[in-house]
Amino acid sequence: MKILVVDDFSTMRRIVRNLLVELGFSNPLIQEADDGHNALTMLKASSFDMVVTDWNMPNMTGIELLQAIRAEPKLKGLPVLMVTAENNREQIIAAAQAGVNGYIVKPFTAVTLKEKLDKIFERLAASGASA
Amino acid sequence: MNAPVTATVAESLPPEVLALLNTQDGTAFEQALDVMVRQREQHLFRALGVLARDLHGAVSRLGSDLANEGVPDSMTDARNYLAEVLEMSSKAAHRSLDFVDRMRPEAEALANNATAVLDFNSSETDPAAVLARQAKVFANACGEGLNDMVLVQSWQDLAGQRVKKVVAFIESVESSLLELVRLTGALAGREAPVEVAKVSSQDEVDRLLSEFGF
Repeated sequence: MKILVVDDFSTMRRIVRNLLVELGFSNPLIQEADDGHNALTMLKASSFDMVVTDWNMPNMTGIELLQAIRAEPKLKGLPVLMVTAENNREQIIAAAQAGVNGYIVKPFTAVTLKEKLDKIFERLAASGASA
Repeated sequence: MNAPVTATVAESLPPEVLALLNTQDGTAFEQALDVMVRQREQHLFRALGVLARDLHGAVSRLGSDLANEGVPDSMTDARNYLAEVLEMSSKAAHRSLDFVDRMRPEAEALANNATAVLDFNSSETDPAAVLARQAKVFANACGEGLNDMVLVQSWQDLAGQRVKKVVAFIESVESSLLELVRLTGALAGREAPVEVAKVSSQDEVDRLLSEFGF
C-alpha cells in the first residue's frame, strides 16, 4: 500500500512513518511531502492508496489539500487521514464536511493510529462490497 | 438682523463673542465667525502637535528600550533565538529517532536469540535458560519502550508550532511599532523617511526601523 505522509515538520513525518512501519506497512512504499502543494503535485504524478496529512502547513494547508483532492476527479476517492494539533470544534467539523476519512489529534498513540486506520479500511471494504 | 445683546448677558460673554453678536451685516458676521473658529483650530492643532511630539518621543524610547534591554538584544535576535530553539529541538528529536532505529533491530535480535536458546533448553533451573528467559522479557520491554520513545518525539512538533506562533506575534508587534513610529513622526512634523507603504520583507522592516534609530 502506497502512503503519502504530509507534514512541514520532518520529525513528525519520521514519527508517522515509523509508526506505519510498526503497524506493518512497507517502509519503501511510504513517501513524504512537506506541504499541501507539494503533496498535491505528487498525488497527481503517481497513484497513492492513502494520505496522512497535518493541518497547519505553509503554502497549502491540510484542509486545502483535502478540498483539492475531493475536487480532483482522479483523486476524489483517496482516503485522507488528518493528524493534527488543531482540536477545535469548527475545524473538526470543517474537515468532516470536506470529506475527511479520519481525524487524529496530536499527540497520539500507535493504538489510536491503528484504530483509525482499521476503521478507514473497514468502511472502504464495506462501501466496496456494497458497490 | 441681530438684536443688541442686553447688558447683563454681555458681561458674562468673552469680548470676541460679544463683538460677533453685535455685528450688523452678514458678511462681517461670517468673517468674524471664521476668525474665531480658526483661532480655536490653531489652539487645537498646537495641542495636538505637542501631544504627537510627546507620543513620538515615548514610542522612540520604547523602541530603543527594546533594542537595549540586554538579552535578547533586539527583536531580530529574539526571532533568531526562537529559530535556534526550533532547530535544536528538531535535532534532538531526530537523534532520539536515530537511536530508536539503531536499537530496535538489536532488541529484536536479542528476543529471537533468547527464543532460540529456550527452544533448545527450556529448563527452569539451568542458568543459561533462566538468563535467556530474562533476556527475552528485557528485549520485549525494550521494544515497547522504543515505541513510546518515538511517540514522545511528537511533542517537538507541538512545541515547534507554538514557537512559530510566537515568531509570528513578534513580527506583528514589530510592524505595529514601526507604523506607530512613522505615524507619530509624521504627526510631530518630522519627515517620514519612506512614503507610507506596506512593508513586506523582514529586511525592509529592519532597514526602516534603523532609519528611526532603532
